[in-house]
Amino acid sequence: MKLLLGIGEPLIGRLLTYDAMGMRFREVRLRRDPKCPLCGTSPTITDLAVHRNGAGAACDVSTTDGHREGVAAGVTPKAGG
Amino acid sequence: MKTLKEMLAEARQVVPEQGPADVKKRIDAGEPLVLIDVRDPDEYRDGFIEPATNISRGFLEFRIGGAASDPATPIVLYCQSGLRSMLASKVLKDLGYENVTNLQGGFQKWAQSGLPVVKDRPMNADQIQRYSRHFLLNQVGEKGQRKLLRSKVLLIGAGGLGSPTALYLAAAGVGTMGLMDGDVVDVSNLQRQILHTTANVGRPKVESGTEMIRALNPDVNVIPLPTRITVDNVMDIIKDYDLIVDGSDNFETRYLMNDACYLAGKTNVHGSIFQFEGMATVFAPNQGPCYRCLYPTPPPPGLVPS
Repeated sequence: MKLLLGIGEPLIGRLLTYDAMGMRFREVRLRRDPKCPLCGTSPTITDLAVHRNGAGAACDVSTTDGHREGVAAGVTPKAGG
Repeated sequence: MKTLKEMLAEARQVVPEQGPADVKKRIDAGEPLVLIDVRDPDEYRDGFIEPATNISRGFLEFRIGGAASDPATPIVLYCQSGLRSMLASKVLKDLGYENVTNLQGGFQKWAQSGLPVVKDRPMNADQIQRYSRHFLLNQVGEKGQRKLLRSKVLLIGAGGLGSPTALYLAAAGVGTMGLMDGDVVDVSNLQRQILHTTANVGRPKVESGTEMIRALNPDVNVIPLPTRITVDNVMDIIKDYDLIVDGSDNFETRYLMNDACYLAGKTNVHGSIFQFEGMATVFAPNQGPCYRCLYPTPPPPGLVPS
Protein backbone atom coordinates (compact mmCIF):
# COMPACT_ATOMS: atom_id res chain seq x y z
CA MET A 1 0.00 0.00 0.00
CA LYS A 2 2.87 2.36 0.74
CA LEU A 3 4.26 1.71 -2.73
CA LEU A 4 0.88 2.39 -4.30
CA LEU A 5 0.48 5.59 -2.32
CA GLY A 6 4.11 6.69 -2.61
CA ILE A 7 4.45 7.18 1.15
CA GLY A 8 6.93 6.10 3.82
CA GLU A 9 10.01 3.97 3.27
CA PRO A 10 9.44 0.78 1.30
CA LEU A 11 11.77 -2.23 1.47
CA ILE A 12 13.68 -1.25 -1.67
CA GLY A 13 17.29 -2.31 -1.10
CA ARG A 14 16.51 -3.91 2.24
CA LEU A 15 15.76 -7.53 3.03
CA LEU A 16 13.65 -8.08 6.11
CA THR A 17 13.91 -11.53 7.57
CA TYR A 18 11.68 -13.01 10.21
CA ASP A 19 12.48 -15.90 12.48
CA ALA A 20 9.25 -16.95 14.15
CA MET A 21 10.93 -19.48 16.45
CA GLY A 22 13.40 -16.99 17.91
CA MET A 23 10.86 -14.20 17.37
CA ARG A 24 13.40 -11.97 15.72
CA PHE A 25 13.38 -9.59 12.79
CA ARG A 26 16.59 -8.82 11.00
CA GLU A 27 17.33 -6.31 8.30
CA VAL A 28 19.97 -6.91 5.65
CA ARG A 29 20.99 -4.03 3.43
CA LEU A 30 21.07 -5.08 -0.21
CA ARG A 31 23.17 -3.46 -2.87
CA ARG A 32 22.87 -3.61 -6.60
CA ASP A 33 25.46 -5.93 -8.04
CA PRO A 34 27.25 -4.27 -10.98
CA LYS A 35 27.94 -7.80 -12.23
CA CYS A 36 24.28 -8.79 -12.01
CA PRO A 37 23.39 -10.74 -15.16
CA LEU A 38 20.05 -8.88 -15.35
CA CYS A 39 20.40 -5.34 -14.00
CA GLY A 40 24.19 -4.97 -13.90
CA THR A 41 26.34 -2.76 -16.08
CA SER A 42 26.76 -5.35 -18.84
CA PRO A 43 23.77 -7.63 -18.56
CA THR A 44 23.72 -11.04 -20.22
CA ILE A 45 19.98 -11.42 -19.74
CA THR A 46 18.14 -8.97 -21.98
CA ASP A 47 14.99 -10.96 -22.63
CA LEU A 48 13.23 -14.02 -21.22
CA ALA A 49 15.02 -16.52 -23.45
CA VAL A 50 16.87 -18.09 -20.48
CA HIS A 51 13.50 -19.27 -19.21
CA ARG A 52 12.85 -21.27 -22.35
CA ASN A 53 15.60 -23.80 -21.59
CA GLY A 54 13.30 -25.82 -19.40
CA ALA A 55 12.76 -26.09 -15.66
CA GLY A 56 15.68 -25.26 -13.41
CA ALA A 57 18.09 -24.29 -16.19
CA ALA A 58 17.30 -20.63 -15.81
CA CYS A 59 20.83 -19.55 -16.57
CA ASP A 60 23.92 -21.02 -18.14
CA VAL A 61 26.47 -19.54 -15.74
CA SER A 62 27.76 -21.49 -12.77
CA THR A 63 25.12 -21.97 -10.10
CA THR A 64 27.39 -22.15 -7.10
CA ASP A 65 28.86 -18.65 -6.74
CA GLY A 66 25.65 -16.80 -6.22
CA HIS A 67 24.54 -19.18 -3.59
CA ARG A 68 27.75 -18.91 -1.74
CA GLU A 69 27.21 -15.14 -1.74
CA GLY A 70 23.62 -15.55 -0.63
CA VAL A 71 24.63 -17.85 2.17
CA ALA A 72 27.51 -15.52 3.06
CA ALA A 73 24.96 -12.77 3.59
CA GLY A 74 23.43 -15.20 6.05
CA VAL A 75 20.17 -15.60 4.22
CA THR A 76 19.24 -18.80 2.45
CA PRO A 77 16.84 -18.27 -0.42
CA LYS A 78 13.34 -19.51 0.14
CA ALA A 79 10.79 -20.29 -2.52
CA GLY A 80 7.77 -21.08 -0.41
CA GLY A 81 4.66 -19.01 -0.83
CA MET B 1 -6.60 50.75 -11.45
CA LYS B 2 -4.63 47.81 -12.89
CA THR B 3 -5.82 45.77 -15.82
CA LEU B 4 -5.73 41.97 -15.77
CA LYS B 5 -2.95 42.12 -18.33
CA GLU B 6 -0.86 44.28 -16.03
CA MET B 7 -1.48 42.00 -13.08
CA LEU B 8 -0.37 38.97 -15.10
CA ALA B 9 2.71 40.80 -16.30
CA GLU B 10 3.56 41.73 -12.74
CA ALA B 11 3.15 38.12 -11.59
CA ARG B 12 5.34 36.83 -14.44
CA GLN B 13 8.18 39.01 -13.21
CA VAL B 14 8.41 37.08 -9.95
CA VAL B 15 7.01 33.64 -10.83
CA PRO B 16 8.98 31.38 -13.15
CA GLU B 17 7.05 29.20 -15.59
CA GLN B 18 7.80 25.71 -16.82
CA GLY B 19 6.17 23.77 -19.62
CA PRO B 20 4.51 20.35 -19.17
CA ALA B 21 7.56 18.33 -20.22
CA ASP B 22 9.84 20.04 -17.68
CA VAL B 23 7.36 19.63 -14.84
CA LYS B 24 6.86 15.97 -15.77
CA LYS B 25 10.62 15.47 -15.60
CA ARG B 26 10.72 16.93 -12.10
CA ILE B 27 7.88 14.67 -10.93
CA ASP B 28 9.47 11.58 -12.49
CA ALA B 29 12.83 12.40 -10.93
CA GLY B 30 11.17 12.09 -7.54
CA GLU B 31 11.70 15.72 -6.55
CA PRO B 32 9.67 16.32 -3.39
CA LEU B 33 7.56 19.01 -5.02
CA VAL B 34 4.02 19.87 -4.04
CA LEU B 35 1.76 20.01 -7.09
CA ILE B 36 -1.41 22.01 -6.59
CA ASP B 37 -4.42 22.15 -8.85
CA VAL B 38 -6.06 25.52 -8.16
CA ARG B 39 -9.16 24.88 -10.29
CA ASP B 40 -12.63 24.28 -8.90
CA PRO B 41 -13.36 20.77 -7.56
CA ASP B 42 -15.58 19.83 -10.52
CA GLU B 43 -12.83 20.71 -12.98
CA TYR B 44 -10.34 18.69 -10.91
CA ARG B 45 -12.59 15.62 -10.82
CA ASP B 46 -12.92 15.73 -14.59
CA GLY B 47 -9.22 15.02 -14.89
CA PHE B 48 -6.06 16.09 -13.12
CA ILE B 49 -2.30 15.61 -13.06
CA GLU B 50 -0.98 13.01 -10.65
CA PRO B 51 -0.04 13.63 -7.80
CA ALA B 52 -1.80 17.00 -7.53
CA THR B 53 -3.74 18.16 -4.52
CA ASN B 54 -6.82 20.22 -5.28
CA ILE B 55 -6.92 23.55 -3.46
CA SER B 56 -9.17 25.88 -5.40
CA ARG B 57 -8.01 29.43 -5.92
CA GLY B 58 -10.48 30.81 -3.38
CA PHE B 59 -9.11 28.65 -0.56
CA LEU B 60 -5.43 28.84 -1.42
CA GLU B 61 -4.30 31.20 1.35
CA PHE B 62 -6.29 29.21 3.92
CA ARG B 63 -5.11 25.73 2.98
CA ILE B 64 -1.61 26.09 1.56
CA GLY B 65 -0.10 25.66 5.02
CA GLY B 66 -1.50 22.13 5.17
CA ALA B 67 0.10 21.19 1.84
CA ALA B 68 3.44 22.97 2.29
CA SER B 69 4.53 24.12 5.75
CA ASP B 70 8.13 24.96 4.83
CA PRO B 71 8.52 28.14 2.74
CA ALA B 72 11.39 26.49 0.85
CA THR B 73 9.15 23.64 -0.41
CA PRO B 74 9.18 23.48 -4.20
CA ILE B 75 5.62 24.16 -5.32
CA VAL B 76 4.11 23.89 -8.79
CA LEU B 77 0.68 25.38 -9.44
CA TYR B 78 -1.61 24.80 -12.36
CA CYS B 79 -5.09 25.68 -13.51
CA GLN B 80 -6.86 25.07 -16.82
CA SER B 81 -4.84 27.38 -19.05
CA GLY B 82 -2.14 28.77 -16.77
CA LEU B 83 -3.58 32.22 -16.01
CA ARG B 84 -5.47 31.69 -12.74
CA SER B 85 -2.51 29.72 -11.40
CA MET B 86 -0.14 32.52 -12.41
CA LEU B 87 -2.06 34.94 -10.21
CA ALA B 88 -2.27 32.29 -7.49
CA SER B 89 1.49 31.70 -7.69
CA LYS B 90 2.05 35.41 -7.12
CA VAL B 91 -0.06 35.17 -3.95
CA LEU B 92 2.14 32.33 -2.69
CA LYS B 93 5.21 34.41 -3.43
CA ASP B 94 3.68 37.26 -1.41
CA LEU B 95 3.05 34.80 1.43
CA GLY B 96 6.75 34.02 1.48
CA TYR B 97 7.00 30.76 -0.50
CA GLU B 98 10.36 30.94 -2.22
CA ASN B 99 10.21 28.19 -4.79
CA VAL B 100 6.95 28.54 -6.71
CA THR B 101 6.60 27.63 -10.38
CA ASN B 102 3.59 28.02 -12.64
CA LEU B 103 2.78 25.27 -15.12
CA GLN B 104 2.78 27.12 -18.39
CA GLY B 105 -0.34 26.40 -20.45
CA GLY B 106 -1.95 24.63 -17.51
CA PHE B 107 -3.84 21.35 -17.55
CA GLN B 108 -4.94 21.96 -21.12
CA LYS B 109 -1.44 22.07 -22.53
CA TRP B 110 -0.39 19.13 -20.33
CA ALA B 111 -3.22 16.97 -21.70
CA GLN B 112 -2.64 18.16 -25.28
CA SER B 113 1.01 17.14 -24.96
CA GLY B 114 -0.24 13.59 -24.44
CA LEU B 115 1.00 13.45 -20.83
CA PRO B 116 -0.95 11.22 -18.43
CA VAL B 117 -3.99 12.56 -16.62
CA VAL B 118 -6.13 10.77 -14.08
CA LYS B 119 -9.83 10.98 -13.43
CA ASP B 120 -11.59 10.23 -10.19
CA ARG B 121 -15.08 8.99 -9.79
CA PRO B 122 -16.63 10.60 -6.73
CA MET B 123 -16.89 8.20 -3.80
CA ASN B 124 -20.39 7.11 -2.88
CA ALA B 125 -21.82 7.23 0.66
CA ASP B 126 -20.94 3.57 1.33
CA GLN B 127 -17.35 4.13 0.31
CA ILE B 128 -17.04 7.25 2.45
CA GLN B 129 -18.08 5.17 5.47
CA ARG B 130 -16.03 2.12 4.54
CA TYR B 131 -12.79 4.04 4.16
CA SER B 132 -13.42 6.63 6.88
CA ARG B 133 -10.56 5.30 9.00
CA HIS B 134 -8.18 5.80 6.11
CA PHE B 135 -9.32 9.40 5.84
CA LEU B 136 -8.10 9.97 9.39
CA LEU B 137 -4.56 9.06 8.38
CA ASN B 138 -2.81 12.14 7.02
CA GLN B 139 -0.65 10.10 4.69
CA VAL B 140 -3.65 8.38 3.12
CA GLY B 141 -6.71 10.61 3.33
CA GLU B 142 -9.41 10.81 0.68
CA LYS B 143 -6.86 11.51 -1.99
CA GLY B 144 -4.87 8.39 -1.10
CA GLN B 145 -8.02 6.33 -1.02
CA ARG B 146 -8.93 7.43 -4.50
CA LYS B 147 -5.46 6.46 -5.57
CA LEU B 148 -5.87 3.00 -4.03
CA LEU B 149 -9.20 2.61 -5.82
CA ARG B 150 -7.44 3.41 -9.10
CA SER B 151 -4.52 1.05 -8.37
CA LYS B 152 -3.99 -2.28 -10.06
CA VAL B 153 -2.11 -5.03 -8.27
CA LEU B 154 -1.26 -8.49 -9.60
CA LEU B 155 -0.90 -11.31 -7.09
CA ILE B 156 1.14 -14.26 -8.25
CA GLY B 157 -0.13 -17.15 -6.15
CA ALA B 158 -3.28 -17.34 -4.05
CA GLY B 159 -1.69 -19.49 -1.36
CA GLY B 160 0.04 -18.85 1.94
CA LEU B 161 1.42 -15.42 1.06
CA GLY B 162 -1.17 -14.47 -1.55
CA SER B 163 -4.07 -15.08 0.85
CA PRO B 164 -3.38 -12.44 3.49
CA THR B 165 -2.08 -10.05 0.82
CA ALA B 166 -5.29 -10.39 -1.18
CA LEU B 167 -7.50 -9.93 1.87
CA TYR B 168 -5.69 -6.89 3.23
CA LEU B 169 -5.38 -5.16 -0.14
CA ALA B 170 -9.04 -5.88 -0.89
CA ALA B 171 -10.14 -4.59 2.50
CA ALA B 172 -8.11 -1.43 1.97
CA GLY B 173 -9.85 -0.78 -1.34
CA VAL B 174 -7.25 -1.55 -3.99
CA GLY B 175 -9.52 -1.16 -7.01
CA THR B 176 -8.23 -3.83 -9.35
CA MET B 177 -6.65 -7.09 -8.32
CA GLY B 178 -5.40 -9.75 -10.69
CA LEU B 179 -5.37 -13.12 -8.95
CA MET B 180 -3.20 -15.71 -10.61
CA ASP B 181 -2.94 -19.35 -9.56
CA GLY B 182 -3.34 -22.58 -11.48
CA ASP B 183 -4.06 -24.80 -8.47
CA VAL B 184 -7.25 -26.04 -6.85
CA VAL B 185 -7.98 -25.75 -3.14
CA ASP B 186 -6.76 -28.76 -1.18
CA VAL B 187 -7.91 -29.46 2.36
CA SER B 188 -4.26 -29.34 3.48
CA ASN B 189 -4.08 -25.70 2.30
CA LEU B 190 -6.71 -24.48 4.72
CA GLN B 191 -4.50 -24.42 7.83
CA ARG B 192 -2.74 -21.32 6.43
CA GLN B 193 -4.30 -20.18 3.16
CA ILE B 194 -7.00 -18.04 4.67
CA LEU B 195 -8.46 -16.91 1.37
CA HIS B 196 -10.16 -20.31 1.00
CA THR B 197 -12.84 -22.14 2.94
CA THR B 198 -13.73 -25.78 3.53
CA ALA B 199 -16.70 -25.49 1.18
CA ASN B 200 -14.34 -24.61 -1.66
CA VAL B 201 -12.06 -27.65 -1.47
CA GLY B 202 -11.60 -28.97 -5.00
CA ARG B 203 -12.43 -25.67 -6.70
CA PRO B 204 -9.83 -23.51 -8.47
CA LYS B 205 -8.10 -21.20 -6.01
CA VAL B 206 -8.80 -18.15 -8.13
CA GLU B 207 -12.56 -18.88 -8.09
CA SER B 208 -12.57 -19.39 -4.37
CA GLY B 209 -10.42 -16.30 -3.87
CA THR B 210 -12.50 -14.14 -6.19
CA GLU B 211 -15.68 -14.94 -4.24
CA MET B 212 -13.99 -14.25 -0.92
CA ILE B 213 -12.60 -10.89 -2.09
CA ARG B 214 -15.92 -9.79 -3.56
CA ALA B 215 -17.70 -10.74 -0.35
CA LEU B 216 -15.20 -8.70 1.65
CA ASN B 217 -15.23 -5.64 -0.60
CA PRO B 218 -17.45 -5.27 -3.66
CA ASP B 219 -15.39 -2.23 -4.76
CA VAL B 220 -12.59 -4.52 -5.88
CA ASN B 221 -12.59 -5.60 -9.48
CA VAL B 222 -11.02 -9.06 -9.29
CA ILE B 223 -9.51 -10.50 -12.44
CA PRO B 224 -9.23 -14.28 -12.00
CA LEU B 225 -6.32 -15.82 -13.89
CA PRO B 226 -6.64 -19.59 -13.40
CA THR B 227 -3.32 -20.50 -14.94
CA ARG B 228 0.37 -20.68 -14.15
CA ILE B 229 2.57 -17.79 -15.06
CA THR B 230 4.85 -18.82 -17.93
CA VAL B 231 7.51 -17.30 -20.12
CA ASP B 232 4.87 -16.97 -22.84
CA ASN B 233 2.15 -15.17 -20.88
CA VAL B 234 4.09 -13.17 -18.28
CA MET B 235 4.84 -9.99 -20.23
CA ASP B 236 1.32 -9.69 -21.57
CA ILE B 237 -0.20 -10.15 -18.11
CA ILE B 238 2.04 -7.85 -16.03
CA LYS B 239 1.80 -4.91 -18.44
CA ASP B 240 -1.65 -3.95 -17.10
CA TYR B 241 -0.62 -3.65 -13.44
CA ASP B 242 1.01 -0.98 -11.28
CA LEU B 243 2.54 -3.42 -8.83
CA ILE B 244 3.29 -7.15 -8.75
CA VAL B 245 3.28 -9.23 -5.57
CA ASP B 246 5.19 -12.46 -5.97
CA GLY B 247 3.86 -15.00 -3.52
CA SER B 248 4.77 -18.00 -5.66
CA ASP B 249 6.09 -21.26 -4.27
CA ASN B 250 8.95 -22.22 -6.57
CA PHE B 251 12.25 -20.82 -7.80
CA GLU B 252 11.38 -21.12 -11.47
CA THR B 253 8.55 -18.62 -11.01
CA ARG B 254 10.62 -16.41 -8.69
CA TYR B 255 13.30 -15.95 -11.35
CA LEU B 256 10.77 -15.56 -14.13
CA MET B 257 8.91 -12.86 -12.19
CA ASN B 258 12.13 -11.10 -11.28
CA ASP B 259 13.37 -11.00 -14.86
CA ALA B 260 10.01 -10.09 -16.39
CA CYS B 261 9.32 -7.32 -13.85
CA TYR B 262 12.77 -5.83 -14.36
CA LEU B 263 12.46 -5.90 -18.14
CA ALA B 264 8.96 -4.40 -17.99
CA GLY B 265 9.96 -1.78 -15.39
CA LYS B 266 7.46 -3.08 -12.82
CA THR B 267 8.03 -3.05 -9.08
CA ASN B 268 7.95 -6.55 -7.61
CA VAL B 269 7.11 -7.13 -3.96
CA HIS B 270 8.86 -10.30 -2.93
CA GLY B 271 7.91 -12.47 0.01
CA SER B 272 8.96 -16.03 0.71
CA ILE B 273 8.83 -18.47 3.58
CA PHE B 274 10.14 -21.80 4.73
CA GLN B 275 8.74 -23.36 7.87
CA PHE B 276 9.26 -20.79 10.65
CA GLU B 277 11.30 -18.33 8.62
CA GLY B 278 10.23 -15.69 6.19
CA MET B 279 11.70 -12.86 4.22
CA ALA B 280 10.40 -9.86 2.37
CA THR B 281 11.85 -7.19 0.14
CA VAL B 282 10.92 -4.96 -2.78
CA PHE B 283 12.62 -5.10 -6.15
CA ALA B 284 12.15 -1.76 -7.88
CA PRO B 285 13.88 -1.63 -11.28
CA ASN B 286 16.86 0.75 -11.28
CA GLN B 287 16.05 2.03 -7.79
CA GLY B 288 17.50 -0.96 -5.99
CA PRO B 289 18.80 -4.47 -6.51
CA CYS B 290 16.90 -7.32 -8.12
CA TYR B 291 16.62 -10.95 -7.04
CA ARG B 292 19.58 -11.89 -9.20
CA CYS B 293 21.79 -9.34 -7.39
CA LEU B 294 21.10 -11.47 -4.33
CA TYR B 295 21.09 -14.89 -5.91
CA PRO B 296 22.33 -14.63 -9.52
CA THR B 297 21.04 -18.05 -10.52
CA PRO B 298 18.53 -20.57 -9.20
CA PRO B 299 19.83 -23.10 -6.67
CA PRO B 300 20.61 -26.54 -8.02
CA PRO B 301 17.55 -28.81 -7.68
CA GLY B 302 17.39 -30.36 -4.23
CA LEU B 303 19.76 -27.90 -2.47
CA VAL B 304 17.01 -25.72 -1.12
CA PRO B 305 13.49 -27.02 -0.52
CA SER B 306 10.87 -25.43 -2.72
